Amino acid sequence: MAECKVDVCGKTCPQPLVEFRRAVRQTAPGDIIEVTGTHPESKKEIPLAVKALKLELLSVEEEGGKWTIKVRR
Amino acid sequence: MDHQGTPVSPPLGGSQTGYLDNAAATRLDERVLEAMRPYLFETYAVATSEFGYSMGIEARESLDRARTSLAGRLGSTGAEEFVFTSGSTESSNMAIKGVAMALGEKKGKHLITSRIEDFPVLNTMAALSRAGYRVDVLDVDGQGLLDPAAVEKAISPDTILVSVQHANQEIGTVQDIESIAKICREKGVLFHTDATHSFTRLPLDVGRVPVDLVTVAAHTIHGPKGTGGLYIRQGTSLTKWMDGGFQEFNRRAGVEDIPAAIGFATAAELVTDDENTRLGGLRDLLMDKVLHGIPYTTLNGHPSRRLPQNANITFHYVEGESITLHLDMRGFSVSTGSACFSRSLEASHVIMGIGGDHERAHGSVRFTFGRYNTRADVDAVVENVAEVVAELRVISPLAPKD
Repeated sequence: MAECKVDVCGKTCPQPLVEFRRAVRQTAPGDIIEVTGTHPESKKEIPLAVKALKLELLSVEEEGGKWTIKVRR
Repeated sequence: MDHQGTPVSPPLGGSQTGYLDNAAATRLDERVLEAMRPYLFETYAVATSEFGYSMGIEARESLDRARTSLAGRLGSTGAEEFVFTSGSTESSNMAIKGVAMALGEKKGKHLITSRIEDFPVLNTMAALSRAGYRVDVLDVDGQGLLDPAAVEKAISPDTILVSVQHANQEIGTVQDIESIAKICREKGVLFHTDATHSFTRLPLDVGRVPVDLVTVAAHTIHGPKGTGGLYIRQGTSLTKWMDGGFQEFNRRAGVEDIPAAIGFATAAELVTDDENTRLGGLRDLLMDKVLHGIPYTTLNGHPSRRLPQNANITFHYVEGESITLHLDMRGFSVSTGSACFSRSLEASHVIMGIGGDHERAHGSVRFTFGRYNTRADVDAVVENVAEVVAELRVISPLAPKD
């Protein structure tokens, strides 16, 4: 099981979602995807995508304006 | 699944496949492929004259039949008025640059077009402008219509060509090309129309409309990509710019793509009035459901003078790219006039051209129907777009909270 880290700090909508989607395409079921970013809307938008793609949302954490979303493919 | 049962790549996470981007490309019709097949494996020779060998003569005759059929679809009785090309981009380049080269020194260097043309016309005009031609780019109204009187006013003694599309690629607005063509004819100016999105979907009869050059393509009507044509009225001044052999009545050099030409003719023959009526019904249903069922939506383009297969709607307070991405994850393919998603990296020049602001362009989504769409696709995409838009508005800092 692989872990894929995506850094989208400083990027705004819809780029974080595009890069998250690319990570989903490039990983296998069961892999962990960790996205770190700063754009507030993307923090809410990525969980919507997780739901639509029927993936598992493991955690959403935020510290000092920087958020990290962990997803199981 | 495709027609041979091979699984096509499923959308990410989605189970439905609602392909609603038929203005960009269409699924090939099996009957088109079947018509093309013999010209790939059996009659694969280049078209030759009567002095050549049998397979080449047969190829020639088939190419002529395809040409006659396509010319006839435009109301032309002279098959030699229809030249095969590699698609709309080449056709429009050939028409506009061909006239510019033929008449630039003889008559004048003035060209007229509209602000909302597709890139083959707009960028050809831009290239000619850099080469010393004078180009007037006319404004359209809020629904995308060009006033024929504005064309008349813009024509001057040195005008050589007017190029105005039949119907718009993004918002589907259908221009009054009959009036524009008649004005051009009266003033002795050549008229070109880009009919890429209207060919076979809307009637266009060159016997009634005095248009001199018409761009058409196969990829929008379930034919092969990379093939198109240019109707050239007999006697039109046009300089050849693809030099080489003497194919296509010495208008366009290069080995003819006979399978593609056969495919194009077959694709055009398969489009019926009934199908166009059916697509218009799907379009009306989608527009009705979205505009009445989802708040803060605006129709882009004309409510009635529009392509039967096109609906274009702005969902305010959300980004078109976000809608596109979320719809893809739910199994739907649509396109947007928003910025980052399109390759031009600019908001749609068409939405801006009809007086829209960046917000309207960024929230615009184009739904285009084709042969394989059904009422169920409309119901499903409307249901899903309503959910996606509602979810995105919740997280949008711009949306009104009500």
